[in-house]
Amino acid sequence: MSDELLVVRCQLGERDALAELVRTWHKPVWTYVRRMLDAERADDVTQEVWVAVLRGLPRLKESGRFAPWLFTIARRAVADRLRAEYAQPPPETQPQPAGPQGDAFEAALDRAELVGALSALPVRERDVLALFYLEDFSLEDCALICGVPVGTVKSRLNRARRLLSEHLTRKGYGHELA
Amino acid sequence: MNSPDDIIARLSPVLSPWRRVGGLTALIAGLAGAVALGALWLTEPEPLPDRLHLGFGLLLALCLVWAGYGGWVLARRTPMFALDRVVAGWLAVAASTLTAVFLAVVGVVRDTPVLFVVGPLCVAVAAVVTFLAHRRRNALLRRKAELS
Repeated sequence: MSDELLVVRCQLGERDALAELVRTWHKPVWTYVRRMLDAERADDVTQEVWVAVLRGLPRLKESGRFAPWLFTIARRAVADRLRAEYAQPPPETQPQPAGPQGDAFEAALDRAELVGALSALPVRERDVLALFYLEDFSLEDCALICGVPVGTVKSRLNRARRLLSEHLTRKGYGHELA
Repeated sequence: MNSPDDIIARLSPVLSPWRRVGGLTALIAGLAGAVALGALWLTEPEPLPDRLHLGFGLLLALCLVWAGYGGWVLARRTPMFALDRVVAGWLAVAASTLTAVFLAVVGVVRDTPVLFVVGPLCVAVAAVVTFLAHRRRNALLRRKAELS
């Protein structure tokens, strides 16, 4: 079933369609939020995103443009959370859970490096990089979600690529990036 | 990560039909009560003592507060899907028709022709809201049929 059909059924008030919509989009939303926040806060913010989505869904005019609309809400929720926390003292470091074993452990380490590199980027650059490369949104959709012109998205992407490259080079990944 | 089913369970209060029914009842009853009380107050033939003016004013304010609360719940706290809006529209038509009948009776008893206009105006507003709700729902049903 297409996303648009699912959204239309939700707008009509079909409860099973709402459940299916959440099941379909929960993981992409959580993954996006997780790239910007730690796991615990990602859970909270993801729930806030879904409450906002449900409240706004009846007013969504273009049902075929659900994904950019959804990520606009997610981005706003993340920004609100970060804005609220910037004014507070930094939290204590959370203990890391024990990692998986064997190859899975190596994969997790690689992923941790990548997530670490992403986390090192400024929020704006990390945001646009995640939307463009990891969520596969077009430049136009990224611009819509971030509320900035396409040119600004391009410049943020350029800066994000450069910063990511510099960070990974410092970590010893230079030959793999070349 | 919370599972999708966890999220769905936590969203249940937002989707509760009772919250929608409560908000709708507060909005419609508040508005109908405010119009009816306002009509009685403004068309009172004899001069009223101050205490009665105060009573009317307080009751009118109470009705408006309930209407405002209901409107806030429906606009901000709970989603109104297409079918909900159609049901809400018909309830508004029923309530405004009763209010119009009440206003017509008051208009006859107190010889105030303007009340014959206010009642149908309320019904017309409710009818327009219902028409728009039906139009939106029909458009969504057509789109659903196209996509299915």
